[in-house]
Amino acid sequence: MNLTLLGINHRTAPVEVREKMNIPEARLAEAVSDLVHRAGIREGMILSTCNRVEVTTSAEDEVDAESIIRRFLTDHHHCDLGPFGHFFYRLRQQDVVKHLFRVASSLDSMILGEPQILGQMKQAYAAARTVGAMNGTLNEVVNQALAVARRVRRETALGSAAVSVSYAAVELAKKIFGGLQGKTIFIVGAGKMSELAAKHLLSSGASNILVSNRTYERAVELATAFHGTPVPFEHLYEHLSQADIVISSTGSPHTIINKNQVEKLLSARKNRPIFFVDIAVPRDVDPAVNELDNVFVYDIDDLGHVVEANKKQREREAVWAEEIIQMEVQRTLKRLASRDVVPTILALEDRLNRIRAMEMERYQGRLGNLTSEQRQAVDALTRGIMNKILHGPITELKSGAGEPENVALVRLIHKIFGLGN
Amino acid sequence: MHDVCVWMALSFYALGILLIVPSVVRRRPSLSLASLGALGIGLAAHAGALAIEAARLHRLPVTDVRSALSFYAFLVTLAFFFVYLRYRIVSLGLFMLPLVFLLTLISALRPPGSFDSSAFRGGWLLVHISSIFLGYTALFLTFVAAVMYLIQERELKSKQPRGFYYRLPSLKVCEELYYRSLVLGLPFLSLGILTGFVWASRTWKGPWELDPKILASLLTWLIYLVLFSNCVSGVWRGRRAAYFAIVGFAAILVTFVGISLLSGEHGYIPKLRG
Repeated sequence: MNLTLLGINHRTAPVEVREKMNIPEARLAEAVSDLVHRAGIREGMILSTCNRVEVTTSAEDEVDAESIIRRFLTDHHHCDLGPFGHFFYRLRQQDVVKHLFRVASSLDSMILGEPQILGQMKQAYAAARTVGAMNGTLNEVVNQALAVARRVRRETALGSAAVSVSYAAVELAKKIFGGLQGKTIFIVGAGKMSELAAKHLLSSGASNILVSNRTYERAVELATAFHGTPVPFEHLYEHLSQADIVISSTGSPHTIINKNQVEKLLSARKNRPIFFVDIAVPRDVDPAVNELDNVFVYDIDDLGHVVEANKKQREREAVWAEEIIQMEVQRTLKRLASRDVVPTILALEDRLNRIRAMEMERYQGRLGNLTSEQRQAVDALTRGIMNKILHGPITELKSGAGEPENVALVRLIHKIFGLGN
Repeated sequence: MHDVCVWMALSFYALGILLIVPSVVRRRPSLSLASLGALGIGLAAHAGALAIEAARLHRLPVTDVRSALSFYAFLVTLAFFFVYLRYRIVSLGLFMLPLVFLLTLISALRPPGSFDSSAFRGGWLLVHISSIFLGYTALFLTFVAAVMYLIQERELKSKQPRGFYYRLPSLKVCEELYYRSLVLGLPFLSLGILTGFVWASRTWKGPWELDPKILASLLTWLIYLVLFSNCVSGVWRGRRAAYFAIVGFAAILVTFVGISLLSGEHGYIPKLRG
């Protein structure tokens, strides 16, 4: 096992460097192919997203993969890596395994727990596979990384709470209404933010949309885009009772929705809940409206607080995710190490057995006519010596399985017993 | 054998509760499954205990305090499982299961009921007691749903999401659970109370209408009728309805536990015996 990873990410390098090092998806397969065709490289994968560029390889035992990767990047980008050298981090062996697990599980992402990275790693993996750059240790590690990411997603709430204002609005709506199917959204005052929130709500299942704006043309325009109904601003209050969710962002200097009006709305709605998302500054909805039962008013700061709380929630979940990853790394390393060890043990046994058989044959003549009992005794004697000699190295190899130092031990045993040639 | 089953049920309930707390607090689905497994074993053992008791008494084991508590605990656990299968709300267990454990424990610690009365062999009375218990089970669920609603509503109104915000179901689901269990519980409660009146008027001598427990259950019934009609008409929704459901369940507790100590007939020491 000789794993190496060289990379930059949003923490180590500014965007100018990341974009310079970026390898677009269309050229990914070709680039990986170039990488693994370099002498000494067995497998390779390139993960290139807007926040990171990472090249991972599995190489022949004695090969210095880092400089090969550096050369590859230099060739690929036709530029001297020198001035950017210090932005790169280099990881080896079990650190590579751990890093890939953390990246896939979105613990290394700029927004903790964001879901895109898993898809991006799947793409990188697929690109590497299509050019035959995945066939051994690295293949197993990346496969495992994807499985671990799925486990983290399943067993922790790392990705569950909304960490952007518009998604927080959707999340709150779901906490109030359960599903959003059949719910009506009323956009009051068409702006970029309300448009975005409405888009998220619609994609979460909300069905009807009403749009009102001081300039009616803009309302018509937005309503058409969302397959909704425009409402003239003068008729705002008549239509308000239809709405389950009101997203308000007018430029009005004072509040346009007050407690009295909402009380009337509630009786018209038979107390069905209403959710006001007030993203206007100054605010459109009188904060006193929140005192009414079955009415929930969130202004832009409130949404911000929810996002902050959700981020803290994710950080707490990340602690558990790290524990899962630590366990999985140990398990994977153990398996990889035993994969290294088992062939060595077999080769060692085979080697000694062959020596024994050769020597037995050589002394056949000198031993003369032995009875079958005597022959068995000699056989047992030589076998006994062989097993005694083997006992030490085999125990050592097995006990060290999973430890990084074992790689050196395996190499040493290969060397002194002349295995593998 | 009966005692073995009861203690087994009790230990598995305890294990289930011990597992469900971290499964909700730390949100670990794998722990939830383990907890449900333990509760399932507990429920099976509990069913076994009730079956043995029923075989011994040749009737539904609900006529003395010990078996009545045990039977009620069994129904509540069963209800938890039904709701879980439909809604997958693990946090519900936090609110429902401690009661199960407490009732089963009290029941296990009590000596077995020694009296037997011909009165309890009558069909009316069994219908009365089992409908009352089914009603109480459903209305306990209404109570729990109301409590969960109030907590979640507070989280949403406070605009500072804390632990419960992430762990309790949406207001919609709380309301649905609340409403459905109310719709299910009220007919059983009504049937139980009516059969009780019929039985009492036939069997008891003297002014049965003035028995404190009968008056209390009448009051409870009225509370739930008012709640039901106001919910159906949409006048009460959300917080107000939830508070009233809590009042209703408090009335049940007073009727079930409190008045039992005062009422001759319902103190489980039948007057008729003398």
